Amino acid sequence: MVISAQESETLRRSALEHLFMPGNDVLQMAEEGEPRIAVEGDGIRITDSQGNSWIDCNAGSMSMSIGYGRTEVADAAREQMIKLTYFPQGTTTEPLVRLVEKLAELTPGSLERTWPVSGGSEAIETAVKIARAYHRRMGEPSRYKIISRRGSYHGMLGMSMWLGGPRAGSPGRIDNEPGYPGMVYAPQPLPYRCELGGETPSECAVRCAQAIDDLISFHGPKTVAAVVAEPISHASAAAVPGDEYWPMLRQICDRHGVILIADEVICGFGRTGKMFAMEHFDVVPDIMTVAKGIISSYLPLGATIATKEVADAFAGEDNIFRASLTFGGHPVTAAAALKNIQIIEEDGLVQNSAETGAYFLEQLESLKEDHPIIGDVRGRGCMLGIELVSDRGTKVSFAPEQKVGEKLTEKFRERGLILRSNGETITLTPNLCVTRSDVDEITAAIDSALGEMESELSLSA
Amino acid sequence: MTTATSDPEALRQASLKYLWMHGRDWIQMAEEGEPRIIVEGHGVKVTDSGGKTWIDVNGGYNSVNVGYGRTEIAEAAYEQMLKITYRPMGMATVPNIKLAEKLSELAPGSLDRVYPTSGGSEANEMALRIAKAYHRRRGEPGRYKIISRRGSYHGTTGGVMWLGGNQSRDDLEPMLPGLLYGPQPNPYHCELGGETASECAIRCAQAIDDLIVFNGPETVAAVIAEPVSTPTGAAVPGDEYWPMLREICDRHGVLLIADEVINGFGRTGKMFAIEHTGVVPDIMTVAKGIISSYLPMAAAIAKKEVADYFGGEGNALQGTLTYSGHPVSAAAALKNIEILENEHMVENSAQVGAYFKEQLEGFKGDHPIVGDVRGRGLLLAMELVKDRETKERFPKDAKIADHLNESFQKHGLIFRTGGDVVSIGPPLCITRDEVDEIIHAMDLSLWELEGELGISG
Repeated sequence: MVISAQESETLRRSALEHLFMPGNDVLQMAEEGEPRIAVEGDGIRITDSQGNSWIDCNAGSMSMSIGYGRTEVADAAREQMIKLTYFPQGTTTEPLVRLVEKLAELTPGSLERTWPVSGGSEAIETAVKIARAYHRRMGEPSRYKIISRRGSYHGMLGMSMWLGGPRAGSPGRIDNEPGYPGMVYAPQPLPYRCELGGETPSECAVRCAQAIDDLISFHGPKTVAAVVAEPISHASAAAVPGDEYWPMLRQICDRHGVILIADEVICGFGRTGKMFAMEHFDVVPDIMTVAKGIISSYLPLGATIATKEVADAFAGEDNIFRASLTFGGHPVTAAAALKNIQIIEEDGLVQNSAETGAYFLEQLESLKEDHPIIGDVRGRGCMLGIELVSDRGTKVSFAPEQKVGEKLTEKFRERGLILRSNGETITLTPNLCVTRSDVDEITAAIDSALGEMESELSLSA
Repeated sequence: MTTATSDPEALRQASLKYLWMHGRDWIQMAEEGEPRIIVEGHGVKVTDSGGKTWIDVNGGYNSVNVGYGRTEIAEAAYEQMLKITYRPMGMATVPNIKLAEKLSELAPGSLDRVYPTSGGSEANEMALRIAKAYHRRRGEPGRYKIISRRGSYHGTTGGVMWLGGNQSRDDLEPMLPGLLYGPQPNPYHCELGGETASECAIRCAQAIDDLIVFNGPETVAAVIAEPVSTPTGAAVPGDEYWPMLREICDRHGVLLIADEVINGFGRTGKMFAIEHTGVVPDIMTVAKGIISSYLPMAAAIAKKEVADYFGGEGNALQGTLTYSGHPVSAAAALKNIEILENEHMVENSAQVGAYFKEQLEGFKGDHPIVGDVRGRGLLLAMELVKDRETKERFPKDAKIADHLNESFQKHGLIFRTGGDVVSIGPPLCITRDEVDEIIHAMDLSLWELEGELGISG
């Protein structure tokens, strides 16, 4: 459905006039012919209003797990919309009940009670609130501090934006001060740049987990409510912690009576080659948050899922957890999510994520041999990261004034890839339906873009 | 796949086990044969899995403005879903742009730049974020305090759950820093002793002026308020209030945020409730009625004069939400707005709302416990009191809400009240006949309640 050049330009002008485009300068976008308008999609490819075809290397917002254009999801949503689109306060609907039942079946251990929301940030906000309220129900109201890791990201609402959170000095941080009270920060178990000097993933994992134990002891366990972490950190460009990390965190939290929250908003529903990334580590968190892949962004949906043990603290009229969201538990989004999950299961997309992801990782590893700009290649399943360095020996990053991020993003664009680099890393999160030949095509484009970048920077192998 | 069948009892059991329902206790629901599972809806009525039809007096959290069962919206959403359901980062989609254009056209004054979100809480979060960042762009980074009114509600996520105070605050401490509270201009219970709506309005607006001066205007970012306050039961401030707030904010360089999440899209008998006051806020937030809850959609809309500060290198607003500007929600919202306009539902809200209010006023003659009736359009409330003269409230152990909810249910209304204030917000397509039906059921329920309480009319 290509629209006329004139209509396309009118729409683009209107977007520049009437939409906030977060993170982007509208004046610059106006000059560069942006924003592009996506009009149709199929698998990992989309077409813009001018008829250009693009490979979306980040599955929308790391979210379109099943790929673009699955009309079965549209059919399921329509069918529900014809029946019922909403519900009176205090009642519920069939697709929602079926969805929460399905989530209880899919999630590990006794994770079984679901608080439905409309996005990942809301899911994390809810998880933190549940953790604090849980301790209150258990007679420990002094537990309110939340531990997250530096360099992580867990959302952008009033409380969630301070978990991990934007970098010091960035507008995203300064604009929103004062920060939320009670936030405590731990090191990121990123093996390539271990904050605590660990030289292997194991050493880094052990030291970073131990640091959380120390933080809890220093603050006093009776003041700590929860630890929040992504199993594999997307914000740190798919940093996979050493195998020791998660079992240690689980043991530390248990020992101190602290709730462990796994943020599977990006990792969940096959992104890392397992249905949930926590399964790689064989650890069951007390609360899990999901969004994105649960519905492949076909409609807005997220969820907070608690273990029976945590949820049971809220049973009884005096113990109700109060925080209604109008759109939480929407029947149409639930129906679409059920169809999305069915597609993930029937098409074997979790397995494809593992296998094609492993192949993709191999291809990126082999790029490393030819490209000195690549310091590290990492990740699991279809969540992969490349770390860029100006010197492989010292692991020094490029200076912001070299504008490596902008230049690389432009080179990817010239090669038909929608793929951004911030100058320090490149994160790849394709749709889970990606094929080996898609991977070859993407790898070839990255290969050529990096080569050109290196010659501009006069880097040689 | 799942073990659930279409057997309603199996579904109910599954919901009790696996669903964390907002605001309800699963133990109590289990005993009472709850939750009810709704299977279809038309206009103001819904049908449950047992085949029983109910009137949804609160239109699903005051949100289903066009009413249930408008399949045109399903078709508009479906059509969009067949084209494209999402977009790559940094790209726009046709319906998202068209919706932003439409909102700019509908919103008063120069409110013309839109940040779409997926719910009212997020919209208010964005409004506060824009307000703080605006002051920083203007070289006044010391402005971070936000003024709200005690008893108001603006959402449940971290940045907004403390606005208005919060009834569940024990669970949520520690609170966000930088929040200040002004009085609520509720004429029936004026905190500042104003004896008329005007007097209350003037005193409450003046109190916000005083609060800004006391804290130092150079520390205050914004005042946020609903034009007609819902949690206090459709409290309409005296006419002086909003023009005074506007003047006070202007004088101190403070942004004025109007929360139209519930008020907007015809709920009060105007497209936006702020139109009753002739005031244009600097930022307005909308949700619910923008899409009648057919899908999740909301937005923060800023004035051009505010938004322009975010143009140019280094000035961009930071922070992306995955589902911001979802093309399918946008397409559904556009159709919803078209229905509101084509079927004159805003006018219907004004007219049938006025009729509804008259009928509620009529209760005062028969029912001594009705202390006050108030509201505008189809945002109405009735406040129950033990003593009309002293306005004394019923003690908690009188369990007014439980008795009423039970009676309402018996008479076919899905209508949950949390206490002494009975809030009403039906779909805007409601007819006079349907109002009569609700009034009749409410009348019976009030008689029953008075019987339980041993009060005679």
